[in-house]
Amino acid sequence: MFYRETGEFKTSYKADQATFPIRFEFFVFWTVVVLAFAVVPFFINDYWEKAVFIPFFVYALGAIGLNILTGYCGQVSLGTGGFMAVGAYACYKLMTGLDIYIPMGFDDTGTMAYHTILLPPLNIVWCVLLGGVITAIVGMLFGLPSLRIKGFYLAVATLAAQFFLVWLFNKVPYFYNYSATGQITATETTLFGFAITGPNAAPVATYLFCLSFLFLFAWIARNLVRGRIGRSWMAIRDMDIAAEIIGVNPLMTKLSAFAVSSFYIGMAGALFFAVWHGAAEPTEAFSINQSFLVLFMIIIGGLGSIVGSLIGAAFMVLLPVLFKNIFVGAFGWPTDLSEYLQLMLVGALIIVFLIAEPHGIAALWRTTKEKLRMWPFPH
Amino acid sequence: MNAFVRSDQAAPEDGIKAGEVMLRVENVSLAFGGVRAITDVSFDILKGEIRAIIGPNGAGKTSMLNVINGFYHPQEGEIWFRGVKRSNMKPHQIAHQGIARTFQNIALFKGMSTLDNIMTGRLTMMRRNMLWQALWTGPAEAEEIRHREFVERIIDFLEIQHIRKMPVGRLPYGLQKRVELGRALAAEPQLLLLDEPMAGMNLEEKEDMSRFILDVNSQFGTTIALIEHDMSVVMDLSDRVVVLDYGKKIGDGTPDEVCRDQTVIDAYLGVSHD
Ligand SMILES: Nc1ncnc2c1ncn2[C@@H]1O[C@H](COP(=O)(O)OP(=O)(O)OP(=O)(O)O)[C@@H](O)[C@H]1O
Ligand SMILES: [Mg+2]
Repeated sequence: MFYRETGEFKTSYKADQATFPIRFEFFVFWTVVVLAFAVVPFFINDYWEKAVFIPFFVYALGAIGLNILTGYCGQVSLGTGGFMAVGAYACYKLMTGLDIYIPMGFDDTGTMAYHTILLPPLNIVWCVLLGGVITAIVGMLFGLPSLRIKGFYLAVATLAAQFFLVWLFNKVPYFYNYSATGQITATETTLFGFAITGPNAAPVATYLFCLSFLFLFAWIARNLVRGRIGRSWMAIRDMDIAAEIIGVNPLMTKLSAFAVSSFYIGMAGALFFAVWHGAAEPTEAFSINQSFLVLFMIIIGGLGSIVGSLIGAAFMVLLPVLFKNIFVGAFGWPTDLSEYLQLMLVGALIIVFLIAEPHGIAALWRTTKEKLRMWPFPH
Repeated sequence: MNAFVRSDQAAPEDGIKAGEVMLRVENVSLAFGGVRAITDVSFDILKGEIRAIIGPNGAGKTSMLNVINGFYHPQEGEIWFRGVKRSNMKPHQIAHQGIARTFQNIALFKGMSTLDNIMTGRLTMMRRNMLWQALWTGPAEAEEIRHREFVERIIDFLEIQHIRKMPVGRLPYGLQKRVELGRALAAEPQLLLLDEPMAGMNLEEKEDMSRFILDVNSQFGTTIALIEHDMSVVMDLSDRVVVLDYGKKIGDGTPDEVCRDQTVIDAYLGVSHD
């Protein structure tokens, strides 16, 4: 009824290129934004924050990141967990005061002398952003092989990155500031006087902090994919030889996808550690399971779609919450049974989507839209 | 039909006048392991002309285009473009020099719409860096709109307004070929390489495509190298023809001269072609 594309004529290319060209979608979007920023903060509590919203924001950022690399640029990656770890450990080092040692040669006694640089603990905003930047650099390094290897073999190479990075953060005490447990723990940081990390952080503060990150960077991602860079990525994805022949530099394009993707995933890792969990150790928190979880999100939500990344993240975050509340809470089933059911459902959905609709829920919505547009006339 | 004038972002012209040599292929030989795809072939393409490359299947025509746009590097021989001997360049660098092409087997970006596919042809001319792109509002958007206007003129020229927003994968074959031409034209090339642009088309589609090729050549002065099997099309469109057979050049001249040449006739009678 309200959903109409026909009858809305675009009078300029600017209007035609808008993110939400249809008025209805535009209103829905802004209603959600206003609700998220101005209404939810008044009702949020600890449970909703830690079980629903923060996980959603963190994984949505990660899913956008992976979708840029895999969905838009066509480069498969199983290293998401490892790159999240880079973001988390970079954030940790920056929030505790980064120490850099520059070797200056040997002194008289034959021991290595270092020039030491100590940075003061940075503001949490910088910690997250620079965590992303550092991950982007690491991501580019691991993206270098993508010029030579493709598809399955690239996936294996990123898998190696995953295991190497987790191993590195376990093995090198520098990264966890020589703590006895090998864990990293977020120190208290504040923004405008409100605690964002640490035990005193209020749900409303962490909620708004993460929401702002997601809102800003989802918007930036949307801008990147609709312009020059996005088209270069998609050209490489769809047919790399033709892309090169029309002037796309494959190395630069793939590396930029790795950089941007890792930047997002690094920020997700930083928020995952600092704001959501408050502490982490690499083996569990950033395992290969994280890589698969984010990959499932973009497959279910939709490869090559920013909105799809959000849908996929919401789906995978909400599913366990729903299962727990319905089967365990309401029906009184044992927890493990509910978890198995959940795994089976996710597995089945992945197969269905991969076979029937590789562009995920986002594409289902697009098809529905096309039908709605014509409604009630079938053609 | 109203032409789209060359925009100021196109590759520089370098002051070559119509009728002067734009591209020269000198003693080029190319082999894949034991298979000799091209053997000691030389010819030139003059600015402003339509140069046909013909020959039976497997004669090395596509390989020749692949050499010209840098996809294959010949073992021997030289390529001179606009009076400069070309060093070994990557295909994407050659695209920036002003050479664009279409493919024998359509090579469109299947996941993108017609509009986006043709917009990719403008990628070499878009300059705004990632930070401007991230911000979008401002210079990046202005640049996008400027190129969009140019691309819309190509869409009008090729009469494909109705499929602008459609994913190219869903288009019929003939239209896909047209979109691919649009993508190449969007780059405002100095030299346009067309690999069998009419293969698999019906008569009406062939006539449309012939008209587009002639219009591109006459209205924008684009130099065109064209591979085509249909001799009547070659006779109608081309100024000069190169004939290849088993990787060797066996004829070179105006369509009339080539058709009367006994070696060419023998090659065509001896080998089946479509
Ligand atoms: N990448 C390659 N590897 C090995 N051999 C190749 C390759 N590309 C072309 N060839 C061989 O080179 C020869 C010339 O092929 P080419 O595609 O240039 O012919 P063509 O004139 O375009 O033929 P057609 O009319 O069928 O398109 C053929 O024998 C082909 O098998
Ligand atoms: Mg061929």
